[in-house]
Amino acid sequence: MTKAVILDNEIIASVIGPTGAEQRRLANNVMEKALKEAGIPFEAITYIVSTGYGRINVPFADKQVTEISCHAKGIVSLFPDARTIIDIGGQDSKGIKIDKDGRPTDFVMNDKCAAGSGRFLEVIADTLEIDLEKMGEISLTSKNPASISNLCTIWAQQEVVARLSEGVPVNDLVAGVHESLANRVSRMVRRLNIEREIVLTGGGAKNIGLVKALSNYMDYPILVPPEPLITGALGAALMGKAITEKAKTQGIQLDTKERSLQVVEIL
Amino acid sequence: MSEEKKKHKKRRTATQAAASIGPMVKEFIAGTIRAKEEARQKIAFTFIVCHHEEILAALDVLPLWTENFAGICGAIRDAERFLQRAESLGLSRSLCTYALCGIGFDQWREEIGEMPPNPPWGGQVKPDFMVSTGQILCDPRAKWYQASQLYMPDVPIYNIDMPYPLFDPKRDHRDVWGYYHKYIVKELRGFVKFVEEQTGNKMDYDRLTELVDLSDRTWNLIDETYKLRASVPSVMGTGDAMNTMVPMCFRMASQEAYDFFFNLKKELEEKIAKKEGEVEDEKYRLMWGGGLPSWFALGDFNYFNSKGAVFPVETTYRMVAPLNEMDLPETKDPIERLAWKWLGYWTFWYDKARKRPGSEPDVERLINWIEEYKIDGIVMHEAFSCRTWHVGLIWQLNQLAKIYKPIPVLTLGKGGEKTVENRELPSLILESDIIDISTYSEVDTRNRIDAFIETLESVRQSKAV
Amino acid sequence: MNDKNSIISSKVEKYYQDYGARAKELKAQGKTIIGWVCSFVPLEIITAAGCVPFRIRGDIREPITKGDNLLETIVCPFVRSCFDLSVKGRYDFLDGIVIPHACDSMTRSYSTWMYSLELPFSQFVNIPSVVKESSFEFFNEVLNTFRQTLGEFVGKAISDNDIAEAIKLHNENRDKAKALYEFKKSDPPVISGVELAKVLTVGSSLPITESNSLFDEVIEELKNRKESPRKKGPRIMIDGACLDNIELIKLIEDTGANVVADTLCNGTRDSLPHADVDRDPIDALAHRYLDKVNCPKTYIDNKELNLQKDLENRFGDIGYFAKEFKVDGSILYVYKYCDPFGFEVPARKAYYNSINIPHLYLEDEYTTGTIGQLKTRIQAFLEMIA
Repeated sequence: MTKAVILDNEIIASVIGPTGAEQRRLANNVMEKALKEAGIPFEAITYIVSTGYGRINVPFADKQVTEISCHAKGIVSLFPDARTIIDIGGQDSKGIKIDKDGRPTDFVMNDKCAAGSGRFLEVIADTLEIDLEKMGEISLTSKNPASISNLCTIWAQQEVVARLSEGVPVNDLVAGVHESLANRVSRMVRRLNIEREIVLTGGGAKNIGLVKALSNYMDYPILVPPEPLITGALGAALMGKAITEKAKTQGIQLDTKERSLQVVEIL
Repeated sequence: MSEEKKKHKKRRTATQAAASIGPMVKEFIAGTIRAKEEARQKIAFTFIVCHHEEILAALDVLPLWTENFAGICGAIRDAERFLQRAESLGLSRSLCTYALCGIGFDQWREEIGEMPPNPPWGGQVKPDFMVSTGQILCDPRAKWYQASQLYMPDVPIYNIDMPYPLFDPKRDHRDVWGYYHKYIVKELRGFVKFVEEQTGNKMDYDRLTELVDLSDRTWNLIDETYKLRASVPSVMGTGDAMNTMVPMCFRMASQEAYDFFFNLKKELEEKIAKKEGEVEDEKYRLMWGGGLPSWFALGDFNYFNSKGAVFPVETTYRMVAPLNEMDLPETKDPIERLAWKWLGYWTFWYDKARKRPGSEPDVERLINWIEEYKIDGIVMHEAFSCRTWHVGLIWQLNQLAKIYKPIPVLTLGKGGEKTVENRELPSLILESDIIDISTYSEVDTRNRIDAFIETLESVRQSKAV
Repeated sequence: MNDKNSIISSKVEKYYQDYGARAKELKAQGKTIIGWVCSFVPLEIITAAGCVPFRIRGDIREPITKGDNLLETIVCPFVRSCFDLSVKGRYDFLDGIVIPHACDSMTRSYSTWMYSLELPFSQFVNIPSVVKESSFEFFNEVLNTFRQTLGEFVGKAISDNDIAEAIKLHNENRDKAKALYEFKKSDPPVISGVELAKVLTVGSSLPITESNSLFDEVIEELKNRKESPRKKGPRIMIDGACLDNIELIKLIEDTGANVVADTLCNGTRDSLPHADVDRDPIDALAHRYLDKVNCPKTYIDNKELNLQKDLENRFGDIGYFAKEFKVDGSILYVYKYCDPFGFEVPARKAYYNSINIPHLYLEDEYTTGTIGQLKTRIQAFLEMIA
């Protein structure tokens, strides 16, 4: 998913766009939508920061900053006491330790394996023919989560199908895969020295079943932002703000890109 | 979760001797816990196959075999939390999972000041000292305790260097083994000195000589016992041997171990007399040609059994060789004797391998045992976290197929006439890990076994008489 | 810097891209080329025998295919790549191969190497694992065995004098490598990380005298450089084992940082330690490879049972380089399936914390496929230490 946030003294636009392969088009798409929502022209934007995997495919961005730094900035603006951030996205998951100023001090990532990300739940939802959005609430109805032992998404999928035909109830299987994902994420995050407050963000944070499953692995309660999908973009905007303010005090003129959206041709 | 652990069926062993091992191991662990509480005897973390049991016993040191403890965690399917603990310290899951389990457990115990909750079989106590030895076999056996020492900084380590000459088809290892022997002897003497310092005991060399002598006799006894498994039908399989390795590797130089094999030998002789094989209808005789087993999936041997397959022999944990077939230099010094045994064991197949074109010691051993135990096929297991025992297995099977084709098979020649062609043995490679169950798919493993059985059957059918 | 008079842009670039070209020329002239993997191979003995030591490299762009038919995928990916290229014939100009007792990936695959390549000369050099007086005694014997077998192979015994001469030449090479590293001390460095990696890599593919001449030429060029090819930026050290290509270094330098120091096998681990000249030459080699080449595979005894002292003994070179080269941060780069380094990660981290050098631990495969993932982590790290 591609997201955009426009920040003034507060958020004046926030857009969550579609997924897709052509990242430059998606970037244009959400930028246009955000400008419309804010009711301002493109030229009015002082500074643009891009983040995430597609950050190099935002031609109009003035600077690229990693998601690690951006999530940190975004989350600490919402939760000043946050010290451990967990981000579970569609393609990857991360853990970030931050200090009291919101600067990352350590991080871990799992971007190598589908089974450690939201993708895992997507594949299983597909297999069981369940709406992805409903997976969380279904998992909460289970009293006896099934144990899914396999690490690999493909094997886990086979295991779920096998167990289903053995008569294991669907909600137990759904709870089981949530358990599995929570276990894997916590395994990764424990490589950091976990301190409270713990904040969960990303698409995974919208899944109430996952939040509950992950809570069982943490020693402290998990906090969730009101809109988990935009904390990265929010952080990027805050980064931009900090950069422009610093430049102002130092009397430096910042380099910025032309404020126009290129037409992207797909050959 | 604990429901899941208890659900898997209890494994069936062919011999009563093997069935008695569980309680034996439980007693080891309990023994270390008692010893810790009583604080009379020193406890040492150590590894198997270092030819130092005699030294430890003579100086009244209680060994805690950390590979064994990790194996237990794996077998009862409670290793994951310790593996994860190790990962949280920065250790990669791709490293030896025995070591990850051990280091994870040690760090946890040291951090909370007591055993982790529900410790497997009572848990692994903090030792008084640790004895490493990587040899040229295994890096984790040199790095594991060093890593644990970070969390137990007051526990000293002695690292015994025990190399052996690698096989060179063009040279006689006896040209160099003199200086290997000299080095190993010095290392062992240094080890004796270290243990004397740690325990405050003085080595009694007469006692040591007695123990070395007992080991020698136990070695020969074990070899004789295992040779009985060549009978048709075969009376004991690798599933059992993964149990009987316990006295061989953890109780060497003890009367208990000698008595165990004495009784096992008797049991096997009785079964042979009654023609009581590992399975009722023996169809396929297989060799476990390499690889440590998956400790949580030993039940797979019963699955093989259910298809009529037996395992008369395995290379894994066959850590003794017939001493009377080695021409070791004579010596009255027990330390020198241990060092010669060491070199004799590791170079046992070198002469034979040199005589056969294209052969190599591990391959030579496979060929010799295929013939001795009348083997129809070979099974190997690749454990992903262990380079020590699992690198080279693919190559061994490859080389074996090149130089040894013992199965005459009827085929149709070009002109339609029946000809006899010699084929290599069928082989199967299983993949998972020693104790990390998340790498294991029972469905996949059993599929592979089924396919292999079909191959064995088709070879059986087309065998030329 | 694409000046055609530049040694770095011309000769170094040529021999880096067409790695082995010079060895092939020498082979055609009748020289004996002996391949080696790993810092523990006693190169002086190969030189003393009149042979050309040739460092075997992997190829990070070449997918491993043929090698997998013979060698398990749980082996260190760098070793696998070297093996894959070898069985594909990339190094078919080799007359022999020498593999040391270094790590399990190499040691346990030695038979596979020997039988698959079927080279006229194959030798396993049994380096001791511990550092005791008896270890040096043993190592001397091992080295003499190597010297004897190699001498038999080339048809002429290798004398003590031959070895002493070879030591002199290899020590010269080490002096020159040190001089090259000196150019990294300035801010920004006069030589980039990518350039130095290429120079050292090429050096390990040439006879020692030619490597010495090449280094001299490069040093001369650097002395005359008017400006640095780099801008000021975070000064980064790479801590790890065999990194035989520029990809990671380039990735780091493309994000604006400068790679100014390392502990790598293809860097300081190999190229700096001297062999003593005031000793019996064989004993000098034993001491160099066991005492001075600092690698996790050599077990350093924690004699005083003191954690801080132990960390200092084992990792002091990291602290030394960090200070000498004014390092801002270190990247601990470990291949998946690497036992010697893998087990040391917690201890190395503890050491970095004790000397207050921020560090990033990366576990990687040996492929260009992970570039995107590495980039994110490295960039995040640089943002963190800024």
